[in-house]
Amino acid sequence: MRKVLLLTVPTVLIIVGTMTLLEHRAYAYTDPGTGLLAIQTAGSALIAAGWYLRRKIYAVVRRISPDKYPTEEHSPTEDGEGTSRR
Amino acid sequence: MKGLARIPREESNVAPDPRAPERTTAQQPTFRDPAGQLHLTQDRVLRQIHPAAVDATLDFLNSPLRASLERSGDLVATEAAKPVAQETSDGGEKRELWLEHPRIDPISYPWEWTTGQWRAAAELTLRIAGQAVDAGWMLKDATPLNILFAGPRPVLVDVLSLERRDPRSAVWLAYGQFVRTFLLPLAAEKLLSWPLRATFFARDGYEPSALYAALRPWQRVRPELLDVVMLATLFEGKSGNAQKGGAAGSHGFDPALAAHILHKRFARLGRQIRRATRQEQRSRWSDYPQSACHYQAADSDEKQRFVQSALELCRPARVLDIGANTGTYSLLAAQAGAQVTALDSDAGALERLWRSAGKEGRTVTTLVANIAAPTPGAGWRNREQLSLLERLTGQFDLVLMLAVIHHLILREQLPLGHIGELCASLTRRWLLLEWVPPADPMYQEWLRGREHLYGAFTEEDLKQAFAAFFEVVDRKALGNGRVLLLLERSGARGPQTGPNPA
Repeated sequence: MRKVLLLTVPTVLIIVGTMTLLEHRAYAYTDPGTGLLAIQTAGSALIAAGWYLRRKIYAVVRRISPDKYPTEEHSPTEDGEGTSRR
Repeated sequence: MKGLARIPREESNVAPDPRAPERTTAQQPTFRDPAGQLHLTQDRVLRQIHPAAVDATLDFLNSPLRASLERSGDLVATEAAKPVAQETSDGGEKRELWLEHPRIDPISYPWEWTTGQWRAAAELTLRIAGQAVDAGWMLKDATPLNILFAGPRPVLVDVLSLERRDPRSAVWLAYGQFVRTFLLPLAAEKLLSWPLRATFFARDGYEPSALYAALRPWQRVRPELLDVVMLATLFEGKSGNAQKGGAAGSHGFDPALAAHILHKRFARLGRQIRRATRQEQRSRWSDYPQSACHYQAADSDEKQRFVQSALELCRPARVLDIGANTGTYSLLAAQAGAQVTALDSDAGALERLWRSAGKEGRTVTTLVANIAAPTPGAGWRNREQLSLLERLTGQFDLVLMLAVIHHLILREQLPLGHIGELCASLTRRWLLLEWVPPADPMYQEWLRGREHLYGAFTEEDLKQAFAAFFEVVDRKALGNGRVLLLLERSGARGPQTGPNPA
């Protein structure tokens, strides 16, 4: 559990930081809004972090609730939640 | 140009009255979207696509997404109005495209919508945005001004809003506009009682910082506002200069991940919209039909029968119901096959009508507006959005003004002749009016010690004031002292083109 957290937290921070700092010109005639654009970028990074780390998250969930999630092959869905293949 | 379907024209079953007032269309062509302009003429909606945007527009018009959105009724229909390419004087080819859309009348602007209509328009925008992402497209703008209501149903009317999407980008550039123009006005109405009609003065919605300043500290951390108000305001303060007002970093993703992020964003916005929407509330007039004690059941039945017989006689294609309240008579007219515009200044009452019309599938368009103080023209030079009267004048075969006239006399202090003149400008032929005499309890409620000014009005005064514009065709006195009058514009009698097909 601790190992996973040690891996997860820095990864999320790095992704969020990198994406917030990397700038690309936004081509739109509507005003994307400075603060709202930053929120969007940070939100994207968090979702992306969840996407990349979903397998790790399943492993933790399985470890916490082995009865609910027996050691079967799991397939992560787009929502980042696993579904058991029976 | 294949794939551009023909648009069926609206057919009116009432002969046009040569003396009827003409629509005055003062709206200038749109100019904010660099891809094209919308030209609203007296009876047509034409869209001119600028040469640089022709290929992209045709790409969308020939896409399965456009076909699917049109089929579902979420997107306005489009057909070609001119050939794609034209010869120029120097022999070259001028790449210009003209499109035509069916008119959706009346045009209703967001500041004339009820809360439920705002939410429906927001949900339509998110639904289209989600479908677009799956099909490789993206909504490039997301404002309620791109939505019109065809009856109770919202429709996206801007075909230029869709553009090809960078599959590796997770940025929705219209996110900020969606938050400012949909989410924050709804939240401001719910939490701050800022009326939705106040958005008349905020074309691009509310800035997060404006709500941040107005909200209490605990309101800023509500789940639907934490990111779009509190964090957005903090980010604005810290990074305003550094970001130079237009930068994004969410590029270069795996395409599946980019689509996943966008769908997550739309889903969250959907939840935020639901949480930010005020629950349906009672208003002064929303329970009026049930609570009114000046109408016995027999009088009410007689009134309905008279309205019904007037509808059968007039067979109107388009009806304006002024002071529609919860829409008993708007729905009656819609059931008779008319396309109804229901006007009332009470948003709570109209919300109920909008919901009823949606449930029953009736073509009733609701407008929250006061006929005595009609919505003015808005936007650049007051000509980007038409005033209410510019949109309504001369558009209706029948105008209903039931139990409204005493409000106009006593609350608005309007002379009877002025009211008659306004009615004559709105209807092409018929006017159904309910006269409320001074002895009526509702008249007395508003009289408030002004008997010497308004206490002696009679039905004859009304008829005389309206005689310059109308002739009385039918009359029914109800048991409660009120009088129903069916009036016809003087000299408007002409041949009918046939019965109402509905």
